Formats: sequence, C-alpha cells, structure tokens
Amino acid sequence: MSLFKTREWWSTSVGEAEEFDNGCLCVANIDNESSGSDKVILGSYQGILRVYNPRPQKTESGWSGYSPEDVVLEQAFQQPILQVEAGKFSSGSENLVLAILHPRKLSVYSISAIAGSVAHGSQYKCEGLYEHNLQRTVHKFCYGPFGGVKGKDFICVQSMDGTISIFEQESFAFSRFLPGALLPGPIKYVPRLDSFVTVSSAWRVECYKYQVLAVASDSGGKDETQNIRSGKRVTFDWSFDIGEQGMDIAVIAFPQAPASILILGERSICCLTETGKLRYMKKLGYDPSCLLPYASLSEGTINYIVATHTNSLLIYQDVTLKWAAKTEFTPVQCQVANFKELNGVIVMLNDTGRLECVYLGTDPAIFVPPHVESRELNYAKMDAEMAQLQKRIKEKGQKAVIAPNRKPEEDLQVNIHVSPNLDEMSMATGVEIPEEDSVPSIQLRIQVKARMLIDNIKLEVHAPWPLATNRSDYSIPSVEPNTPAELFVSIFQRGNSLPAHLYVQISASYQSATGGSRITTLRAALPAKLVIQPVLPVKSALHKLTIDTNKPPISLNDIFPDMLGENAGGQGAALGFQFFGGPVVTVLASKTSQRYRLQCDRLEAMWIPLKELVSRLNQHFNRGKYGDFRASFDGSLPLQEYYELVDSHFECRLGATKCSEMLAQRASQFRVIERRLLTRFKDKTPTPLQNLDTLLEGTFRQILALGDAVEQNQMAEAVAANNLSCGTYLLNFLIRLWTDMTDEEFKVLENAVSPVVSESAEQGWQEMTDAAVTHLLRTVLAKSAKDAAVNPSPLSIPSDTGKVKKHIALLCDRLGKGARLMDGLAEKKERTIKLPTPKTISEEADTELSEESNAVDNVISPNFRSEKSRKKKRGVVRAVEELAPLGLPMMDKPTAGLGELSEAKNQKIRSMVPDLDDMSGGGDEENHIANGDS
Amino acid sequence: MDPLFLAYSYFRRRKFKESADICTKLLEKNPYDQAAWTLKTRALTGQVYVDEVDVDEEGIAEMLMDDNAIANVSRPGTSLRKPGTSSQGGPSQGVRPTSQSGRPLSGFVRPGTQGGRPGTMEQAIRTPRTAHTARPVTSSSGRFVRLGTASMLSTPDGPFINLARLNFSKYAARPNLAKALFEYIFHHENDIRNALELAALATEANQYKDWWWKVQLAKCYYRLGMYRDAETQLKSAIKQQEMVDTFLHLGKVYVRLDQPLTAVETYKQGLEKFPGETTLLTGMARIYEGLTEMDNAVKLYKDVLHFDNMHVEAVACIATHHFYTDQPEVALKFYRRLLQMGVYNAELFNNLGLCCFYAQQYDMTLTCFERALSLADEATVSDVWFNLGHLALGICDHNLAYQCFRLALSNNNDHAEAYNNLGVLELKRGHVEAARAFFQAAFVIAPHMYEPHYNFAALADQLGDLQSSYVSARRAVENYPNHTDSQELLKQLRQHFSLL
Repeated sequence: MSLFKTREWWSTSVGEAEEFDNGCLCVANIDNESSGSDKVILGSYQGILRVYNPRPQKTESGWSGYSPEDVVLEQAFQQPILQVEAGKFSSGSENLVLAILHPRKLSVYSISAIAGSVAHGSQYKCEGLYEHNLQRTVHKFCYGPFGGVKGKDFICVQSMDGTISIFEQESFAFSRFLPGALLPGPIKYVPRLDSFVTVSSAWRVECYKYQVLAVASDSGGKDETQNIRSGKRVTFDWSFDIGEQGMDIAVIAFPQAPASILILGERSICCLTETGKLRYMKKLGYDPSCLLPYASLSEGTINYIVATHTNSLLIYQDVTLKWAAKTEFTPVQCQVANFKELNGVIVMLNDTGRLECVYLGTDPAIFVPPHVESRELNYAKMDAEMAQLQKRIKEKGQKAVIAPNRKPEEDLQVNIHVSPNLDEMSMATGVEIPEEDSVPSIQLRIQVKARMLIDNIKLEVHAPWPLATNRSDYSIPSVEPNTPAELFVSIFQRGNSLPAHLYVQISASYQSATGGSRITTLRAALPAKLVIQPVLPVKSALHKLTIDTNKPPISLNDIFPDMLGENAGGQGAALGFQFFGGPVVTVLASKTSQRYRLQCDRLEAMWIPLKELVSRLNQHFNRGKYGDFRASFDGSLPLQEYYELVDSHFECRLGATKCSEMLAQRASQFRVIERRLLTRFKDKTPTPLQNLDTLLEGTFRQILALGDAVEQNQMAEAVAANNLSCGTYLLNFLIRLWTDMTDEEFKVLENAVSPVVSESAEQGWQEMTDAAVTHLLRTVLAKSAKDAAVNPSPLSIPSDTGKVKKHIALLCDRLGKGARLMDGLAEKKERTIKLPTPKTISEEADTELSEESNAVDNVISPNFRSEKSRKKKRGVVRAVEELAPLGLPMMDKPTAGLGELSEAKNQKIRSMVPDLDDMSGGGDEENHIANGDS
Repeated sequence: MDPLFLAYSYFRRRKFKESADICTKLLEKNPYDQAAWTLKTRALTGQVYVDEVDVDEEGIAEMLMDDNAIANVSRPGTSLRKPGTSSQGGPSQGVRPTSQSGRPLSGFVRPGTQGGRPGTMEQAIRTPRTAHTARPVTSSSGRFVRLGTASMLSTPDGPFINLARLNFSKYAARPNLAKALFEYIFHHENDIRNALELAALATEANQYKDWWWKVQLAKCYYRLGMYRDAETQLKSAIKQQEMVDTFLHLGKVYVRLDQPLTAVETYKQGLEKFPGETTLLTGMARIYEGLTEMDNAVKLYKDVLHFDNMHVEAVACIATHHFYTDQPEVALKFYRRLLQMGVYNAELFNNLGLCCFYAQQYDMTLTCFERALSLADEATVSDVWFNLGHLALGICDHNLAYQCFRLALSNNNDHAEAYNNLGVLELKRGHVEAARAFFQAAFVIAPHMYEPHYNFAALADQLGDLQSSYVSARRAVENYPNHTDSQELLKQLRQHFSLL
C-alpha cells in the first residue's frame, strides 16, 4: 500500500534466464575513476560478471534510459558468482579492487579503464590479482580492516557449515569453527569493536572478537590450514536473542547516527547498540526482502530502506515510516549510488536480473481501475428501455412465485416403461418385514433420449419409503441423439409400513446446450400387485366403505384378472388382498345392487385397493371416451377413524419433541459435568473426583439410550406419517366421490388437506393443514364477511389436535352443504351427511368405541343438520354444553386424552433411560452440580 | 553450484517449494544431513506460517467451556462480554448499527468482530448461523485445521518428520535445531501437544533463561486454553527480556480472559519500552473499540497513523468513525486516501458512495456504486444493493428502493436489514400482510436488531394484536434500551393492560 511509486532513472534487464540473489550487486567506483562516480557491478549465478556505468541523458521526454554504451564490462567465468564486493584487497595499492566469490574459489581482480580517443572507444580490462582455492563450499564473505590494519581490507569467508576462514590478502591466516553453527547466518565486521557479528542457527545475534578468534588455535599459531577438523571452542563477546532467523545485518557507522547494528529478521527489525543492548525494534507486517541503511540528516536517528515482498520500498527513520513507494518488482538487493548526473540513486536488482536505478518522487502510484462498461447516453432510448423494464418488473411482481417458463421441447426425454409382470426372480434386498420371506419386485425400464449430444447426465430414482430400489442413482457419461441409453431398475417394498402411494419419481439433471442446468422429472405408476397379494377374503372387519355405481354389478374376477390368486375359481363376489406385513382388505361386490364394498380392520389400508377398484371399474365401463360410468360414495365419511390417524401421528411428533428436549437437557448436564471435571483435571493440586466420572459415564449412557429412543420414535413417526398420508388420500378421494368434485376443485382440496406428510421439525402436518383449511374456511367457504377476517396464527406445533379436527369437520360439513372450492361455480344442492352408524362399528368393536361420538360428530348429526346454518353453529355449542355435564368420555377431551397418551409416551421414554439414582452417590452430586455451577 | 547453497538462496527469496524440493533430494542422499533437515523444516513452515498474534478465532466451545472468567456479572466498562456498559457511552445504536455481539460495526473486518458471545451452548447453536456469521464450534477444529492443512497434504512417503518417533529431549538440548523444529511442529504439523512437550524440555535445557522458549510455551498453553499458565510464562519472559511479541501475546491472553483493562495496561507497558510500535497501538485501539469507547480508539488509531501512515486498518476505522459521527466529508477524505493507496474493492467503493451521498456530492455517488457493483463478489453484492436501496429512499424513489432491496435479498436471502426495509415499504403501500411477513423474517434472521422488533410491535399494535406487540416491543427495548419509541409503545401497552 503506498501513495507513490518509484521513478525510474535508468533500467535494464540483465541476461536471459540468469539468477541473482543478495550479494550479487555491488555499487562502487571500481575503476577508480577520478570523478568518483559509482559503477554497478553484477555477478550472476550463471557466472557472468557485468559492470555498468549508467549515463542516461536528459531529454524532453524524461531520461533517455539504457543505451548499449552503458555496459562497461562483461565477462563469463566458469563458476557461478555468489558475491561481488569492492574493497582495498590489493596489497600493492589502495585502489578499490573487486573480490569475486565462487563456490570454491575466491578471486580478486582489478578493473581499469584504457581511455580511447572517443567516448565509446575506451576499453575496460579485468586483470586477476590473486586467488584462493577453498576447501569448503562457501556461503558469503565479509571484509574489513581486521585487527585494526590501516588502508587494507582483509577477507573473511564463511562456508556453508559455519566455518570462517580469514585471508589477509594474498595469504591465508586461519580457519575457525563458530560454535553451534548449522546453517550460516548473515555476517558482518564491526570495525569499532574489531569483531564479527552474526546471527547463529540458535536465532541469536552473536559477536566474536577478532582477537579471540585469532588466538583460539589448537596448534598454537603454527601451520594453519583451511582443512581443519577440530578446533577450540570460541566464546562470543556478547549475544542477544532475537528469536527469529536473521536475514541481513547492517553496521551503522555514520557520523551523526549512534553506532549501532541493525538486524533484519524475517518478521521484525532490531536495532542493537554495539554492546548488544536493544535500542528499539519494529515488528513488520509484511515479508521483508532486503535492508539498506543510509545516513540520516537529523541527529541521533538512523534511516533505512526496507524492500518488501509486497513490492514496495519503505523508508523508516527509526521506527517511524517516512515514505513508502511502490516498486515494479521485489528486489533481492538494493544499494545507494552516486552517479555523475544524479546523486543518491537507489539501485535495485531482482532475482531474474531486472536492474533499476530509481529515485523517489511524488508520482502517484496510479492504479487505473478498469473502465466500467458504460453506454452512450441517449436519454430517449434510456427512458424507453427503462419504461419497458419497469413494465416487465411490474408484470413479474404480480406473480408471487417467479416460475421459469418451460421450454416447449426439452433436450432430454426420459421414458419409463413399467414391466407388466413382476420379476420372476425377486430383486428385493434388505427387506424389513418380519412376516414375509420374500416380496416381489418389478422392473422399470428407463429410456433416456436426447436431441443432441448431452454429457454427464445424473439420473435419480426416488421411491418413497417403504418402497425401495435396488439402485437409486445413475450417472450416464453421455447420450447421443440416435442411441438412447437404457437403464433398468427394480422397485420393491422394503419397509414394514403401508405405502402412501405407488409412484416413483425419476429425475434427470443435465446441462443444456446453453449452459443452464435443467432437470426433467417424471412419475411412474406402479401396479398394486407390487405391494398387495391375493388372499382368501375375510368375512368381518372393523371398517367398511361402500361405493355406489350407476352400472349393473360385475364379477370381480373380471376386473381383477391378475390378482385372483387363491380365489381364482370363485364366483367373483369377494376378493381378499393383503399388504405385505399388513392387514387384509376384502372387496365385495353386491350381486343385486350396484354396490361394491371394501372392508378392513384398518381404515388407511383401504386406500390403495379402493383406488384400484374405482380405476379398474372406470376402465372396464368407460371403454372409449364416452362412458357414463360414475362411482359415488354415499356413506358417512370415516372422520372418526381418520382422526385417530391424525392423533397417532401427532403423538409421535410430541414424542419427538419430548425426546429432543430430554436429550438437550441431558446434553447440557453432560457439558456441566465435563466442565467441572475439566477444572478438576486442570487444577495444579489434584483433588478427588468425587464420583464425577461415574456421573459422566451415567449421563453418557443416558444420552446414548435417548438417542436410541429418538431413532425408534423416528421410525414410528415415519409409519404414522405414511398411515396418515394413506388416510388423507382416502378421505380426499371419498370427499371427491361424495361431492362429485371437478378436477380443479379436487386439486384445491388436495392442496389444503395435503396427503403429503413431510417430516420436519419446524412445521408439521397438523398446523399446516390447520392453517390451510382455516384459510379455505375463511375465504372460499366463508359464510359471512365476519368469517373472512384473516388473522393467521404462527405455524408452531399445537398443544392438541382438537382445532385441526374441528376445522376438517367443518370443511367436510360445508362441502357437504354444496359449497364449492372454486370461486364462480354454482352452489350444489345440499347433500345428506350420514353419521357413521354406531352399529357398523359396534359389531366388532368393544363398547368404548361406540361411545366415541364426540362433539364434532354432533355437529353433523342429523338433528342439527336441517337447521339453518347460523342456528347450527349455536347447536355446536349447545351440544357440547349439554354433553359436558353428562360426563364426556375421556377420549373426547383432546387434551386429556393426549395428555395421557403423551404421559404414557414419556413413561416409555423414561423407562428406556437408566435412572440416575440407581448409581451410587450420583444423586447427591447432581444436586451439587446444579447448585455449584458457576 | 552447491545444492544446499541454492536451497538456502531459494529459501531467502521465499521460494519455499523449490527449496524444500532440493532439501528432499539432499536428504535422500544423506538422511543425516542436519543442515538440509533444518532448512526443509523451515521451508515447510514458511509455506504455512501465519503470525500467531493475528490468529484469534474463538470457537463456541471455548467461549462456553471457559472457566477463567472472573465474574459473571462484571462491573460496567470492564468486560468485553457486555459491551456498551462503559461510562463514556458509545455511539447510539440508532446511528451506528451493531453486530450480533452488540458492538458497533467496526471499520475493519477482523476475526472475532462479527460474531457475538452467546450465553449458552444451546443459544449458540441455535443462533442463526448464516455464512456471514458462522463461527467454528471449537477453535481446534475450525479454523486451525484449515490453517494447518499442510499436515494433511499427502506426501508420497509419509510425513516429513514422524513426530511420534522423535526423541524430544535429544532435540531440546540442541538450540540450533530445536527452534526451527518447534516452529515446524507448531505451525506446519499443528500438533500443539508435542510442541508443548518440546518447548517444556527446551526451557528446562536452557535453565529457564531463554525468553523465546517461554513465549512458545505460552503460545502452546494459549492454544490449549490454559490462559493462566500462558500468562505466567509471558510475564516471566518479559522479566527476562522485553520484546514486542511477548507484550502482544500477553495482551491477547488478557483479552481472552476478558480483562480488557489489564490488556490495555499491558500494551501501555509495552509502549513504554517500544514507543510507537503500531501493533501495540492497534491492539489497544481494538480493545477500546470492543468496549465501545470510540473516542479512545480513534485517538489511538490516529497515533498509529503518526508512526505508519500506510496503516489500512487505522484509516478505515477512523473513516468509519467519522462517517457515523455525522462527518461524511471527513470520512470521504480518509476513504479517498485508501483508494489512492491502492485498496480497490467493492467495500471501499460502497463506502465512498455512501459518503458522497451524505456529503451531498451526488454526481459521484452513482459512479461509486456502479464500481462497487462491478467489483462486488457474492458475499458483498447484497450489501451494495442494500445501500443503493438506502440511497433510493433518500431521494424518495420508493420503487427503486423496493427493487434494490429485492435484489439484495435475491443475492443473499439472509439479509435481515433488507427484509426489514422491505417491510416498511410494503407497509407504506398498505400491504399489511406482506409487511408483517417481512418483519417476522427479519427478526428471525437477526434477533439482535431492534428495528424489526419495533416495526413489528408498532404494526401489531395498530392491528390490535396487543400481545404480540407487547412481546416485540419488549424485545426491541432489550436490544436497544434507549430506543424512545419502543419505550413509549411499551408504556402505552402497559397502561392499556392495566386498564383491562
């Protein structure tokens, strides 16, 4: 982040695919020119030495930049150049000469100019003075007037294993091990102290006196070799722990600044005094790449430049950021140079060989944001477009649900063919019905056709529980237009429950040619024989439904030819069907009247046979289009039995909430115990656990048991949901037959009293149905404007099912009175509503059931039915009032009965959970926790 | 060229992968090469290194299993858990919106500024956890796993160092190896327990004289939730040698212990030794921001700018402060500075647009928002639309406002503020049902906002549903005790009830 960027004065790209690192750049007046202007010396890892003398000319359009004459010298060496430094390394003169470090060699060259007659005629010459072959692989070297020698620079070479070797110009002096060296750190010579400062592998700044190093010899100063194997342990003068790896060291010896040592770490900059005391430090919020101190104008402060990996040059005065400039690259090294034309130029080099001489300036680091796409302003057009868009938005806004319009033709077509016969070999696996050994399966052939090449189609077959498939998802790599893909899947009943309907849903998802993802869904109807098998009819049953028709009766053998089983030779007056693991449904055909009867012990089980019967009758009589066969239902709606289904499902839901409440309570207890245990364990002085561990285990077991209970309850809820779904289908179907509804009306009814019983913790079937039915009662079925006031209650689990039952009864009542579910349809004439005659029930049922005529049934009892509607409403109240003192049966009060039921459920749940008190000492502790919890 | 030298050079240039690869080759040749081994540990650490001071994600479990709190009911202004209790009084909620925790929105998103501190585990789990407020269940499972994924990267021949077979006491005695090894275990392997063991042994081997090891011990203790032990170690380290990091860690420990004032003291102590250290100043400013003492926070942020005028966080926080204290022109200057410094994102343009609008520089407003929209990603685009909706409200274009809020919702259907405003617009159009549904949606998604509660209460009051009105008004007052309208409504309702 910076406001300004560096201004380029001169730049060039050096070499091709060459590598550079810190040490490869040196700025010095290497040819000892009289004007004292600096040259830029570069050595690459590829072994090429280059010397530049930047001389850009000022032109009208800024500086002229790089020109070929700026290259003073270019020479290739056999070995990589690791470091170049200029110093007084020559014994003969005090001129600056160049020291070049190769991996195993140190060479010193002098560079001199031979002036030509014209500017570009001058030649430069690189002359070797001396060289040392080195025994160890080197890392870096530093130089200085070691031992206080005047006018000369000695060289200290640091090798990769941390050994340092001192060369006094042409002669080798000695080699020493630095203690604890593993990887070499940066090393510098401090002239004032006559010491070396380095950062060791222990992440410590260490200072070694030259004297100490020189005398610490095994052999007492005689025959020093580079090839040492052991040595005396030298001790440092002082050390300072910086706690991180050092990247660079700079020794500050400017006249105005206090003598100090700057250490650039990976994450901070430390400034130490020469005696190893911390002056200040600065934590860096970025990754630094190199450090360069320079003389400050103000007294007592140090200025330094830090280049970062975030491409900026930061200039600090002590710890205060003075300037920040953006650079084009991350430099590995930077130097300050004085050239003939310009003093104080910052020379930067990056690791791929980009060399730049820059200066700071107030050129803003202009980041030009990309141009936002804008159109030519044409107000008339814009207004027109705006108006059009607004119109479209308005149109869309009318529709509450934004439905994407379907394309007339889909790219992908899925065809399903349900095989007419059951599989010879059942494919059923994992069947959970204990009573059945084997259940049949049926094969579906799914054909996927494409209009164009479509890749990667995902096909999913969803069979609602208790049905299952042998494989539910397929992925088709690609379908070509002329070769449709074919898949086979078998469906069978797995779970032990009544199926709510016999549809499987198949959905294929794919990417259309335009790139949008599309889904094609399809439903396939399965034959009833997949879930029911023919058995001998059962004579008597609890529930009976009678269907009237307008055609003479027909033998059942004719309409159920494929499902006769053992009844094949019979007269066709009675057929029995049994669900796998479920009840038997008997279908009877009257010989004389035009009636058919279904009977079964469970109301909900009659749904699939009834639907099968009616549809088959329809098929049989309505051959072609113009059949006038009509089935109707004239009996009483089995509301009472239906309510039982609603209640049992509701009970399961209550059980689920109860379970989860208890689970939450136990879980929080578990956490409290955990927390207390944690404090005990953390305590320095161990204290007895006071049976907390037993309590923890006990609670854990309770949680596990509760988890099992939740699972069982879920299973029960799924069964109850399916039963309720069947019951709802049945009820809706009966209402349809009873009131002779149109398809549209039936749709409304199915949407209100939905047969889809979804499993959700938030909103259950009861409250959703209640809300929907209430809505119907207040809108299309409303009798007066007063009824029409809408004030929906929030959708939350009700305390009992009384309300929803009452509302469904009311709905049936109004429908029976001829009300229509769609606006604008003529009122039908009132239909008679028959009570479930107590007789039919009492035949088999025990006496308690016969008493079960509750207030709601009284609503539709014939006594009050004939009255006007307003009176009838009063009648409801009266009926309840009259009945109440006589002693309402317990089951009639929804709360009472339910309370008992849920109580029983609770008991059941509780009995599954091991009692806390059973565990020794547990009870007291629990209280203790409850009180002592902070 | 010596391969080790090259590897070292790559390491210096932060080309960690190349460096590690060369070291791997070297170690294949000679498995006992300690220099290559150390370099490889450091290169691998460098790939995943994040400064521990900056990592501060408090998981739900840490918050609730925290047994270090001194008092459950703290004195006003001494706790970060109950913000807004300080004597100075922060900005009014009506002016500066709050985050879920009840703190005013910060100008700079940091870990921990978004979420709140729920009271119980149940509450925490049930708090709407949208993508914008999600918080890991525990910090050892959430973010740190993501940070430390390096340990999960499959290496063809198993992990580089098999920690289970490492003889820690041997390594602890070798200072030149141990430090790099520790950082590797801590940052790369993310194995705090082994790191702790190594640090404990190394401290012992150094005769308890090395401050660095003590700080590392404290880091381990902090990660393990043993804040008191961390505090002891850090204090001991400071006694030995004062370093910036030590103070920062100690401050962090105190924040976690919910002792903001002690943390501030620690930072002050650090500043005496290291005057002008921006990290310490920022730490202090963040705490004051958390305590809603905005004046102190802004003063410190200004100090930060004195030492580092490129500090983005400081500039952003000051700008936000000015914006919410009704000085959009000043805020505009700060945001413009950020823009000049090279910050280029949707949030900045959005803020610039708002500042321009409130500073009545209408010509720039739409341009800024245009840019913000073109830069916005999925997470921010809804907020930009929401702000545009505000702008439309400001120029009384209700249709445009309605459409903007709808767009905000279509991009992020958890945007509670947009729901609330849509509700108000619907109410203006006379669609009572829709308005009510929108208010309900808003306060279900963001229970910490007082606006939808109040709006709902006012609407219910008008419709005659006094019970709902009372409940909602109470919630509104709970969230914002000084909201006069809610209080009035509540008073009126109470009076009404008492008459009945």
